[in-house]
Amino acid sequence: MSSKDDQFSPGRVHPGVQTMQDQLLRGKCSRREFLRTVTLLGLSAPAAYGLAGRLLGEKLVPPAVTPAHAQSGGLLRFGMFVQEMTDPATFDWVERSVVARHIVEYMTLTGPDNVTRPYLAERWQPSDDLKTWRFFLRKGIKWSNGDDFNADDVVFNFTRWCDPKTGSSNLGLFSAMLEDTGQNDSAGKPIKRMTPGAVRKVDDHTVEIRLNSPVLSIPENLYNYPTAIVHRNFERDGGDLSKNPVGTGPYMLDLFKLGEVAVLKKRPEPYWGGDVSLDEIRIIDLGADEGATLAALASGQIDSMYELKLTTVEAAKNIPNVSIQQVATAKTGVIRMNLAHKPFDDKRVRRAIQMCCDSDRQLKIAHKGFGIVGEHVHVASIHPEYFKLPKFNQDIEGAKKLLAKAGYPNGLSVSCNVGNTDGTWEQDSIAVLKQDAAKAGIDISINVMPSAKYWDEWATAPFSLTSWTHRPLGTMVLSLAYRAGVPWNETSYNNPAFDRALTAAEGVFDVEKRRAKMEKVEQILQDDAIMVQPFFRSVFVAVSNRVRNFSIHPTLYHRFHNVRVG
Amino acid sequence: MLTLILRRVGFMLFTMLVVSLVLFLLLDTELAGDPATRVLGQFASEHQKELWREEHGYNRPVMVRYFDWVGSFVTGDLGISNRYRAPVAEVLWPRLWNTAILGFWTFALIIPISLVFGILSGMREGSVLDRSLSVTGILTTSVPEFASAVFFSSVFVFGLQWLPGTSGMTDGFDPVQLILPVMVLVVYDFGYVARMTRASMAEVMTAQYIRTAVLKGLAYKTVILRHALRNALIAPFTVIMLQINWLLSGVIVVEFYFAYKGFGALLLEASLNNDVALLEACAMIAVAVAVGTQTLADIGYTILNPRIRFS
Repeated sequence: MSSKDDQFSPGRVHPGVQTMQDQLLRGKCSRREFLRTVTLLGLSAPAAYGLAGRLLGEKLVPPAVTPAHAQSGGLLRFGMFVQEMTDPATFDWVERSVVARHIVEYMTLTGPDNVTRPYLAERWQPSDDLKTWRFFLRKGIKWSNGDDFNADDVVFNFTRWCDPKTGSSNLGLFSAMLEDTGQNDSAGKPIKRMTPGAVRKVDDHTVEIRLNSPVLSIPENLYNYPTAIVHRNFERDGGDLSKNPVGTGPYMLDLFKLGEVAVLKKRPEPYWGGDVSLDEIRIIDLGADEGATLAALASGQIDSMYELKLTTVEAAKNIPNVSIQQVATAKTGVIRMNLAHKPFDDKRVRRAIQMCCDSDRQLKIAHKGFGIVGEHVHVASIHPEYFKLPKFNQDIEGAKKLLAKAGYPNGLSVSCNVGNTDGTWEQDSIAVLKQDAAKAGIDISINVMPSAKYWDEWATAPFSLTSWTHRPLGTMVLSLAYRAGVPWNETSYNNPAFDRALTAAEGVFDVEKRRAKMEKVEQILQDDAIMVQPFFRSVFVAVSNRVRNFSIHPTLYHRFHNVRVG
Repeated sequence: MLTLILRRVGFMLFTMLVVSLVLFLLLDTELAGDPATRVLGQFASEHQKELWREEHGYNRPVMVRYFDWVGSFVTGDLGISNRYRAPVAEVLWPRLWNTAILGFWTFALIIPISLVFGILSGMREGSVLDRSLSVTGILTTSVPEFASAVFFSSVFVFGLQWLPGTSGMTDGFDPVQLILPVMVLVVYDFGYVARMTRASMAEVMTAQYIRTAVLKGLAYKTVILRHALRNALIAPFTVIMLQINWLLSGVIVVEFYFAYKGFGALLLEASLNNDVALLEACAMIAVAVAVGTQTLADIGYTILNPRIRFS
């Protein structure tokens, strides 16, 4: 192995790239897996596509994610909730990041093809053991207040993400930068802090991150929606992006009326990333009524929307001059059980509920068949590290036996919260489970809540369905949701064996080996039966034909730098 | 009359005081859960919550806090909205104004249409016009607003493509965007007011003094305008005043459906988002409008019908 400094010498290619080339040539990994992995290892997207093309003898062209220097001008009207936009680090709705994404930017950019590209970071290089990452920042980028963008900004952001006082979900993503304090909070969760020296400024435009364990997905994590880079004085200047919208992006916030409208206007000075087309982006809040969004689209009041809900897809197909885009994603509804509450502290009860689920029926009824069947492990077949476990079949008799062993021979009654935060398919999913569970003597009463109320208690409720968004890697969402003590661990799950297995999987770039390690991760999660997770869902967006270059992103991280109207 | 007005206003203020106490106890005390948790969120530590309670005076006795709140409210300080992170007054008044615009145009159409058709029908009880009005009125009033909103949208937005589908007014005031919400409200409510007017008019038309006036040889027009109308309008006046009250709460459905940024939608948002200060202010405004219109109805009733005296 070469010395640490040699590993970051300019032009050096990570040895894992050679391994991936061999795997691609031997057919051990797919083209998509090759592209995703070698870009994470620091190869640029054009170089990765070029290399894959040469190896496979095909001409591969990466999709455009940077501005196409197209004809300037135009107004895009976009239907979406205009929500509070205070601190990007604490965003818990993707919608909040859609407005912010045009003002503040990310270190990396994961495109609709799930390939991660440089953004504020010009390039990155991991050490051979994937425990040290250097990010080389672009020079010449200026904040909208005139300051230079530099390493201090990045160090500031990493430091506050890893500070539990910030309350950022990024704590789970960057858990390899944390250490235990040995203390627990009032809820009994271990309190963590950033390991001293986990992030350091190498020079004005280079930042180094040191991890306690190897992690491959660091560049991809840096496009997770709460990781937008804010100015180093963000907190000193009030800590509210909607009131002090200082950013490096091509747009400035011209108007922000919570619950009504947000207007973004192109900054007058040249954008470091090339010219963007749209002069103005107008985000219009049409409320929670799906019909209103559809009516606004039909009458030309909006050009597109955040998401076309499942219930309105058929109606939208009949609107003239509108096209519908669809993409399979790892978005899902997790009917999770909180282990801190009875009767869910008993694995037999959890397992019994899980065994009642008929995932195929769930997908067919609750999501009209649009999606992928799940196996209660929150990793989808579209994730590159997905390991296919044996099919999980419904077993009503088995569920009855387990219930009897758990002390419920005559069945039990539980109440399940649902907020329909992403659509009424959530309620339908619970209703299907209720029907199936009734056969085993489990009476599930459905507690339908307003979505805002749901989010007030989503992390502490005993039994509820939470809608989770897509992440390009399965390990990302597992780190966010199931590691012990992370803010978004809504199941109170605390299994050191799972944490260790996940840590082991996160640090392997070899697709086959990572998949093998994921078998253990998925098996532990399925055996512990902390959730019923029947399907992953496809998502839809309707777009007016006036709009050009609009491409649906599986995460719905809408970004309009390349969009034209007219 | 002055005594009557003073008594009615006094009763109105007393009602509002009682309602304000109930509202405060329900929304701003431990009865509805820990206010600190509502504001700071479920992830806040106990220490943070305690600091917040101290800073916002939540450690003081409930009644002290109540009178403090009432005092602030009376002087126009409605508190700070959690959701909007701004003074409630800044959020509330523009929304109330939007609903007032919607209400104005709704009543501007409902009152003349209902009165004209109601009076004409009442004058000719059993006529084709009367029967038609009855059937139409029953039909429109029995269709809830959310159903007629869908129906009108499907016709005028998706079918004919004549009208905008939502009424957010994000580009500034646009009267065209008011057409559909006003249409829904008018269609729902005019039948009720028209039928009340018709019933009142029909009753008056059978009264002895009307027959006497006709037999006396007075012109029919004079009989209607000078003798029948004033008495026939007593019931519709009360009904119309009550409709202002209905509009403030009934408008929630219409504002939600058409994404109209009015008071009703704000009330819904406040309740869904646990925004206590905003919810209290909205509720107090709704109560003020309710008792205010009731008081006006009582006073107006007395003016229209001198035989009635509240003692």
